Amino acid sequence: MTGPAVPPPGGRPAGAPGGPPPPGHEPGAHRLSPRLLLIDPIRLLPSLVVPLAGVLVAGGFSAASFGWAAVGVAGAVVYSLLRWATFTYRVTPDRIELTKSFVGRSVRAIPLERIRGVDVTASPLHRLLGLAVLKLDTGAGGEDEEGVLDALTRERAEALRGVLLVRRPGPSAVPDSGAAPPPAPERLHARVPRTWLGYGPLSGAYLLTPFALLAGAIGLIVQWGDEFGLSERTARHALEWAWDRPYLLLMAAVLLVLAMPLAGGVLYAVFNWDFTLRSRDGYLVAERGLLTRRTVSLERRRVRGYELADGLIERRAGLVRMWALVTGLGDSSTRGQLLPVTPRAFAEWVAADVAGPFHVTLRPHPRGALRRRLFRAVVPWIAVALAGLALGWRTLAVVALIPAVLGVPLAYDRYRSLGHGHDGMRLSVRSGSLRRAQAVVERRAVVGWRIRQTVFQRRSGLVTVVAGVGAGSGGYAAVDTGEEQGVTFAAEVTPEWLRPFLSSAPGALGGSGGPDGGDAAG
Amino acid sequence: MLWLIEAITGFVLLVGAAAGVALWVDGADWPGAAGWLSHHAWTLPAAVGAVLLPFVVVEPPLRYAVHRWELSGDVLYARSGWLSREWVFVPVSRIQTVDTAQGWYERVLRLATLRVRTASHAGSSTIIGLDDHVAGRLAEELARRAEQLRDDAT
Repeated sequence: MTGPAVPPPGGRPAGAPGGPPPPGHEPGAHRLSPRLLLIDPIRLLPSLVVPLAGVLVAGGFSAASFGWAAVGVAGAVVYSLLRWATFTYRVTPDRIELTKSFVGRSVRAIPLERIRGVDVTASPLHRLLGLAVLKLDTGAGGEDEEGVLDALTRERAEALRGVLLVRRPGPSAVPDSGAAPPPAPERLHARVPRTWLGYGPLSGAYLLTPFALLAGAIGLIVQWGDEFGLSERTARHALEWAWDRPYLLLMAAVLLVLAMPLAGGVLYAVFNWDFTLRSRDGYLVAERGLLTRRTVSLERRRVRGYELADGLIERRAGLVRMWALVTGLGDSSTRGQLLPVTPRAFAEWVAADVAGPFHVTLRPHPRGALRRRLFRAVVPWIAVALAGLALGWRTLAVVALIPAVLGVPLAYDRYRSLGHGHDGMRLSVRSGSLRRAQAVVERRAVVGWRIRQTVFQRRSGLVTVVAGVGAGSGGYAAVDTGEEQGVTFAAEVTPEWLRPFLSSAPGALGGSGGPDGGDAAG
Repeated sequence: MLWLIEAITGFVLLVGAAAGVALWVDGADWPGAAGWLSHHAWTLPAAVGAVLLPFVVVEPPLRYAVHRWELSGDVLYARSGWLSREWVFVPVSRIQTVDTAQGWYERVLRLATLRVRTASHAGSSTIIGLDDHVAGRLAEELARRAEQLRDDAT
C-alpha cells in the first residue's frame, strides 16, 4: 500500500553518510535519512487502520469511502514527508542542534559535554533498511528533554556516536582522580554465550509475559470488538460454549502455565541475544537484542558502582543480574544493565573489570533485625487468622496461617541477606529475599547520610543508615543495623564528615549512645 | 512555637470538621439510620478531640526538643522527628542548591525553612523554623562554601 505511494525525493543517499545538506540551510545541517519515509507511514498505519476500517464499513465499500481511505493514507505520507523535510540536525564543535520547523520552529541545542550517553536502537524495520535511532541521554530527566534522531543510516549513526562521545578534556573532567583512564581504545569485557540465555526464565521477570500478552489481547478485543462486529452477546456465547467444555478450559490453563517459562524464555532470548559489553573511548558500550538491536553507551567516568540482584531460584542456581550505577542516568534499570542473567562468579569478574573489585565479606546485622523480620513476616497474618477465628470464619483463619508459616523461613532468609561492608574505596549494602539486591558504590559517590530510627527500632536498638548517592536509585540503605554499628559504618566510610559530631557532641547523635540518648539531648 | 501553632490549627480543623459532620447527622433526620446515631452524634467531635489532644500537647515540645542543626567542619547536620527520628549529614561540598522558604505562620513568627539539596534525595535535608535572619545567613554561607568546595564526583 505504501510502496508506490512514496516519492523518493532527493534520491537514495548512495553511501554518503547522511543526506546531502539541503539548500537554503546553514552549512553542516543534515536531514535524517530519507529512507525514514519508508518507515514512517508504516508506523502510522496502526493508528490509521481502525478509522480506515470504520470508514470502509460505514461507507459500505463504495468508491467514495475508498477515496476517503486513500486520502487518509496520502495524508500520512505527506505528513511524514513534511516532518522529514523540516527536521534537521547540525553538529558544531561544542553542541548539537536539533531544528524542527514543521508547525512551530524549535531549536534544541545540546552542549556536547552534557551528553552522558548515546543509545542506538534499531527495530527490525530499521535494520531491514540499514537505519538506526540515536538517542542522546543528557541526564536532564524526562522523556521530552532528550534528543532523538530517528532515523539515521547505520554508518551515520555509528560515526555520529563517535563524534558525540569523543572525550573532551574539560574542566569537569579534572577533579576525578579515582577513575582509571581507559587503557585501550576498544576492549571486550564480556560476551554472554548463547547457552546462558537458558537462564532467563529463572529470573521470574519474564514469567508473567504470557498473561500480559493475553490481557493485552483481551483488552484489544474489548476495545475494538465492536468495530469487527463482535458484540457482548457473542462474547457471552463464547464463554458459555467454553464453560460447557471444562476439559478445553483446563487444557488452555495447562497450556498457559507451560507457555509461561517458554514464552518468557523466548522473549528473554530475543531481548538479550548476543549480549556484549565492551569499553571504547572511555565509554562502556552494551549491545544486545535479536530483532531490535540496542546499543547503550555509558560514560565510564560517571560509573559509580554496580548493583547485583538475584531472585530466590536464581540464587539457588548461583546466577545474578548486574546493573551499573551511573550518575545522572535516566531510566537506569534498562539503560544501566551491564549483564543479563549470568553465573555469579562471571558477573563478579566482569564487575571487578568494569567498576573495580570488592572482596569484603559483609557484616551481618544484630539479632534484633531478625526479630523485626520475623515480626513483620508473621504477625500480620496471625492477626488476620485470629480475627478470622474471632469472627467464626474458619477458612479465613486457615488460609491466613499458611503465609504466617511460610513467613518464618522468609524472615530468616531476609535476615541472612542483610549486610553491609566497606573496603576503603567502596561500600556495599545488601538486603531483600525474593529479590535480593547488593549495591556496591564508590565512596566518593556518597553525597550524604541519613540515619533513621522509628519508635519500634528505638526499642530494639536498631537504626537504618541510608547512604545518599547521586546515582542509581538515589539512596542505598543498610536496613536495621545496630545503633553503634550503623554510625560506625557511616563514620568508617566518610570519617571526615561524621567525626566532628562524634567527638565534639557525643549526645548529638542521640540514639547512638543508647535508647534514651536522644531524650537526654533535648 | 511554629509546631504548636500548626498542631493547634490542625486540631481545630479536625475537631471542627467532626463537629460539622455531627451537626449534619443531627440535623438530617434519616429514616433509615438508627436512633442512637443522631442522639449520640456529639460524641464524635468529643472523641476526635480526646484522641488528638495528647498529640497537640506532647508533639510540639518533643519535636522542638529533638530538632537540632549544626554546621561544623563543612558538614551540615540536622536532626528531626519526634516519634521516629532522623539524622542527616550533608557535606557542604556536595550541596547543589540551597533554598530558604517562608510559610504564612513562619512569616508571622519571623522564621524560615532552609532546604538543602544534593544529587540524591537521601542526601537532601530540610531545617524548619530557623530565625529568618539566621536562615538567610546560613543559606548564604552554605552557598558560598559549596561554591568553593565544589567537586564533581557526583
